[in-house]
Amino acid sequence: MHSPDLLVIGAGPAGLSAAVEAASAGLDTVVVDEGVTAGGQLVKQTHKFFGNEGFFASVRGFEIARSLLEELVDFENVEIFQESSVIGVYEDGIPVLHLPSDTTRLFRPKRVVVATGASEKFLQFENNDLPGVYGAGAVQTLMNQFGIMPGKNVLMIGSGNIGLIVSYQLVQAGVNVKAIVEIADRIGGYEVHADKVKRLGIPVLLKHTVTRALGVESVEGAEICEVDEKFSPIPSTARELVVDTVCIAVGLNPSVELIAQAGGQIRYVAELGGYVPVRDEDMRATAEGFFVAGDVSGIEEATTAMIEGRIAGLSVVRDLKGSTDENKVSRLKKELVGFRNGPISARVREGLQKLGFDVSSGESRTGNLNNPQKYRGKLRPIIECFEAIPCNPCETSCPTGAIVVGGNINDVPVIDYDKCNGCGICMTKCPGLAIFMLQELPDEDSALIGIPYEFIPLPSKGDQVHLLGRQGEMLAEGTVQRVFRSPHKTNSVYVKTPLELADKVRSIRPVLQEDNAFVCRCEELTVSDIEAAIDEGYTDFEELRRKLRISMGPCGGRTCRLNALRILSRKTGKSIEELSFGVLRPPSIPSTLGSIARQKGAEDD
Amino acid sequence: MSRLVDHPIIEFRRGKEITFEFEGREISAFEGETIAAALHAEGIKFLRASPGRQRAQGFFCAIGKCSSCLMEVDGVPNVRTCITLVKDGMIVRRQKGKGEFGA
Repeated sequence: MHSPDLLVIGAGPAGLSAAVEAASAGLDTVVVDEGVTAGGQLVKQTHKFFGNEGFFASVRGFEIARSLLEELVDFENVEIFQESSVIGVYEDGIPVLHLPSDTTRLFRPKRVVVATGASEKFLQFENNDLPGVYGAGAVQTLMNQFGIMPGKNVLMIGSGNIGLIVSYQLVQAGVNVKAIVEIADRIGGYEVHADKVKRLGIPVLLKHTVTRALGVESVEGAEICEVDEKFSPIPSTARELVVDTVCIAVGLNPSVELIAQAGGQIRYVAELGGYVPVRDEDMRATAEGFFVAGDVSGIEEATTAMIEGRIAGLSVVRDLKGSTDENKVSRLKKELVGFRNGPISARVREGLQKLGFDVSSGESRTGNLNNPQKYRGKLRPIIECFEAIPCNPCETSCPTGAIVVGGNINDVPVIDYDKCNGCGICMTKCPGLAIFMLQELPDEDSALIGIPYEFIPLPSKGDQVHLLGRQGEMLAEGTVQRVFRSPHKTNSVYVKTPLELADKVRSIRPVLQEDNAFVCRCEELTVSDIEAAIDEGYTDFEELRRKLRISMGPCGGRTCRLNALRILSRKTGKSIEELSFGVLRPPSIPSTLGSIARQKGAEDD
Repeated sequence: MSRLVDHPIIEFRRGKEITFEFEGREISAFEGETIAAALHAEGIKFLRASPGRQRAQGFFCAIGKCSSCLMEVDGVPNVRTCITLVKDGMIVRRQKGKGEFGA
């Protein structure tokens, strides 16, 4: 099949969607993809998608990839070539390099859908080429596709949705996120994503940037700085963080090389991520026979990529067969308009306008419109989704029809507590993890709080947990009352909290035994206190002593010194012999000044 | 050592255990992993010395876009190791500059 009806370049959400439409209409379709598995960047997306259920809302990215592929394998007229890169677009055809065999195959397709996606934007700072400075997508690939820890301590640069989502996923994989730095004075991504990382206790440092990566052959630290109004670093504010990975999440560039080589017109539209192909509403580029879809045509979400892919596929069908399912095309276009209608898509709309599209915007309902306080004592959801984002699984999953988003998918949900039966399904479905359950208990001084939980280990009934607030701050300890496992992996953990904390508790953390594992009895320092100080950069015993007062208590360090050195040795990789054991100062036992004053035999001197 | 076993969302199904050679050192990996990923799991992030200033570099994008992970694989230089699957018995070398054929 060297002259297929359609060649789709890229097997991500856009490419696969285009292929599904073309194949369903009977077109001979070839999909080529560079990756080792099809699905594009979906394969490493472990979070649930926003949107509506027609487009996989509340389904995790890697599961969406699986569904799209399952749709495709049933067609005999589709062939997918993995590990296959397009070398370029030439006048005599499109040579595709099969990487493992190092051989090429020349395709002369009737139509081409370019769905090449995007590449990570690179950020300029000293030593930014040091191994360990990774794009956010690379960190996801390692961690979520191959199950390999990207590092132990990560500094995240950028607080857009990708920076926020990847930070959350790093914590799910057991990696410590030291901080998220954001050069602007506000967080870039959705509020619900920001809330998720804040309640884990990850600091988001606004008006900060990274100025230097430290290390010789790989990252050993990073220097960050505050910035002034012109985004220039203020040198006096520089400080170093001990990290082994710097993760860059400052946006994506559309991969327009192939469509440009084909002769397609390219325009710079900053709002869409950079250079983008000129195209029409049917996703037709200006090069004859070429269509585009997904991030290559402007950086957006996977949902819009899937819709664009379907439109491109249906347009190819119209071209080659003379007709296509026009109802479906107009439905899909309407869907796109709906998605881009809200305040979140303002930039994308500006970009599309520059490309000549008439993009409507609408008023969206925002803010907190629900008043759960009126229903005291009833088990009910607290919906903390106040920003207009295109999403409605809470509405579609509610078995009693109590939650309504309505015709504008950007509107925030409104709940009718009289209809709600307290089942808690919405809490496990919400992609933003922005729904919690609340019930004031009859004892009048405590409440039950339900929390969506996506970490391991999952606590069990009766476990003691720390109750954390919206900024990850410790509020109290509480007991787990109920745990429900969800097949979709967003489990529900219900904890009992003091009544006055019911409006504050939004996260939990298991009480680790090490929190009570003391190293220093005199100063009451635990293993985690010492590890935290070492993580902050206190890597010498004398430094730890100044920071924590370890060995400065009445025992003079007899109890703690060696244990602290063992932790230091384990954390730094240096043997105990190599480490300084610090100074041993008198008095080495607790003694009163009086005992010295009453010194016997002093009068003899 | 840095491979995840338990994860709250994902179940990792790894392929057969294999070994390959990196700079004369035998390294274990699993079928289905890319060369760059398998090296990272062993703590190896320095994949090549840049052609001009001989700077230590590793991968950046891990999806075949940035060409920062070029290494010599079985005597062929400029292999994008982030999208090349590791194979049993493969010989992988840190690429210096533009690399060498047959090295």
